[in-house]
Amino acid sequence: MKPADEAENNILYVGIDLGTSRSSISASNNTKECVESYVGWPRDFISARVLGKDILFGSEALGNRLSLDVYRPLERGVIKEGIERNEEAVKELIGHLISLARPPKGQKINAIVGVPADTLKVNKLSIRKAVLGYVHSLMVVSEPFAVAYGLELLNNSMIIDIGAGTVDFCIMHGAMPAEEDQKTILTAGDYIDEQLFSYLSEKYPGSKFTLNMVRQFKEKSSFVGNAGHAIQVELPVEGKLVTHDITNEIKRACESILPAIIDTTASMIARFDPEFQVKIKNNIVVAGGGSRTKGIAEYLHGSFKELFGDCRVSCVEDPLFAGSDGSLKLAMDMPKKYWEQL
Amino acid sequence: MAIFSKKRGSRPRRIILKSVYEENLRILGKNPLGPRWKFPYLFKGYFFLSFIVLLVLGNVDYLDSRLFSENKKEIHISTQGENFVPAEYISLINDKKISMKQMFGLGVKTIVIDPGHGGSDPGTSGKLGLKEKDITLDIARRLKKKLLAYGQYKVLLTREDDETVPLNRRTEIAARSKADVFISIHVNYVPSKPINIIETYYFGPSADGDTLELASAENAHSNYSLGEFKEMIEKIGDTLKLQESRRLASFIQDSLYLNIKGQNSSVLDYGIKRAPFVVLLGIDMPGVLTEVSCISNKKEELKLYTTRYREDIAQYLESGILNYLKKGEPVYEASR
Ligand SMILES: Nc1ncnc2c1ncn2[C@@H]1O[C@H](COP(=O)(O)OP(=O)(O)O)[C@@H](O)[C@H]1O
Ligand SMILES: [Zn+2]
Repeated sequence: MKPADEAENNILYVGIDLGTSRSSISASNNTKECVESYVGWPRDFISARVLGKDILFGSEALGNRLSLDVYRPLERGVIKEGIERNEEAVKELIGHLISLARPPKGQKINAIVGVPADTLKVNKLSIRKAVLGYVHSLMVVSEPFAVAYGLELLNNSMIIDIGAGTVDFCIMHGAMPAEEDQKTILTAGDYIDEQLFSYLSEKYPGSKFTLNMVRQFKEKSSFVGNAGHAIQVELPVEGKLVTHDITNEIKRACESILPAIIDTTASMIARFDPEFQVKIKNNIVVAGGGSRTKGIAEYLHGSFKELFGDCRVSCVEDPLFAGSDGSLKLAMDMPKKYWEQL
Repeated sequence: MAIFSKKRGSRPRRIILKSVYEENLRILGKNPLGPRWKFPYLFKGYFFLSFIVLLVLGNVDYLDSRLFSENKKEIHISTQGENFVPAEYISLINDKKISMKQMFGLGVKTIVIDPGHGGSDPGTSGKLGLKEKDITLDIARRLKKKLLAYGQYKVLLTREDDETVPLNRRTEIAARSKADVFISIHVNYVPSKPINIIETYYFGPSADGDTLELASAENAHSNYSLGEFKEMIEKIGDTLKLQESRRLASFIQDSLYLNIKGQNSSVLDYGIKRAPFVVLLGIDMPGVLTEVSCISNKKEELKLYTTRYREDIAQYLESGILNYLKKGEPVYEASR
């Protein structure tokens, strides 16, 4: 890396991962921060007085949602078009992330922002618009590509990034991934939450569930394949706390997105030469929040093995920052002459 | 996990860094390295790309109006295309086919068209980014315009725009309008096979695994609880509504399949099937759900980008519905 360079030009490099549910930043001054992708503005003058702030982010925004207009502006990974408040929310969110990296006043910043793979040109432009106010120079890349770059998986590998709104697939073969090397499907973390919500509402009609509640159950106990132990939660039923077993529901919901993932992976790999296929199969990496699901690498390995023979599947070590770390690495490796043009 | 040592990786790394930079120039509309056609794989002007690829594949039949008119052999009732003729005149033009009953409005039929998905629910989407919700709405609007031109039908859409409408709200719209026919338009996705299939469903229990999977995808945004849903399935027998739905399904399927086969002989006929689609369950009139195309097939997606192809599909649907309504009066009357 280039600490000398950095000191010389006094540039702060940052990598940003703009996610549906969580966004993170990694900076060359060694800060790493993450925030849930919620932005809230006080509903009225009184709420603003009570909260003592003009704008709230992340879990703080979610916690005060009754007195706020809350936006999750990157739903489906793109700035929802035509909704001005959403564009503003993205802008504020990025400003907030950059402030978390604590740049000194007047600091020159070069940023690389990772966005979901299927973001179209127009959205990348709007993301540029949102970021440019804060940085000196900027590039936008696809999120799974940033993850791959960060892991030095430049060639012969496949990234499966399981996020909230989308699962993004990306095959790396030594060049910038082309259109057909990337694919996005929409049954991801949010879909699991919806499934779990309906299973639980069905099984325990006496208890009221919310999507936020079931997401928390999932994030605490997610698994696929064999359950290590029973998963139980305590919930009020007619005023009394009752223990509910939710093991099977968690399993069913978490596994519900896997057939599409398996199918998509297999069909993407199948397009390559057999010799190359072997290499990719031995470098399948699962990233994103969904990669924290217990047993997911083993489950996928088992299914892939049946479909196309032996392979190696692993999960990234730090799903929260794999994307922003990759973007940061990309930013720091990027020749200076390129930055100057953008 | 690194499979390239720094040294061995330096060349691909340089190439990658350069291509990231170039793509970002392109996002800005700048053009670093001469003409774009040298780098088509990075170029994201999908509409342009689709045009080029269609040309390259030699698949230009959609531009050829002679072929196009030949493909319409299944369509019995003439339509107006872009030259919109006021409804009153159309009914006179087509007068041989209009009974007295219809002339005096007694037989006015209400057709509800349901463009699948919408708003926060995009449905499925293709590799180039085309979304199911946008195709279904566009085809539905075209179909509505075509049907209205006869001056004999009341036509409603369950959504007029890119908006989120829960499935039970859609069936409510159908019920309140006392519709005679309900048709829900969708686009299929078959991930592992590069094929184009056409299939039409009517409501009923199904044991077929693939069908159930499709049904659960299409039902994903329903506001019914699972309990309500099961109860409703059990209540259904082989009623008149079911028989009429089956008849409607077969007219639509035939029209779609035979016409599309005229354009592309590799299309597969998956026929008509029963499936527990929530949107068909809640309605009290003959209703079908039709998967008019298969967006996982890239060639098919490119065609869907063209107005001509979407217009064609609307026309085939129109022909199917009219064949159903005219060939033998439906025996079923919704209990209202
Ligand atoms: N332990 C966990 N098990 C399963 N899913 C999880 C876990 N932790 C987080 N998630 C899910 O991962 C998704 C967020 O992943 P992330 O990569 O941050 O997505 P995005 O980039 O779309 O914001 C959410 O759906 C979240 O519920
Ligand atoms: Zn659909």
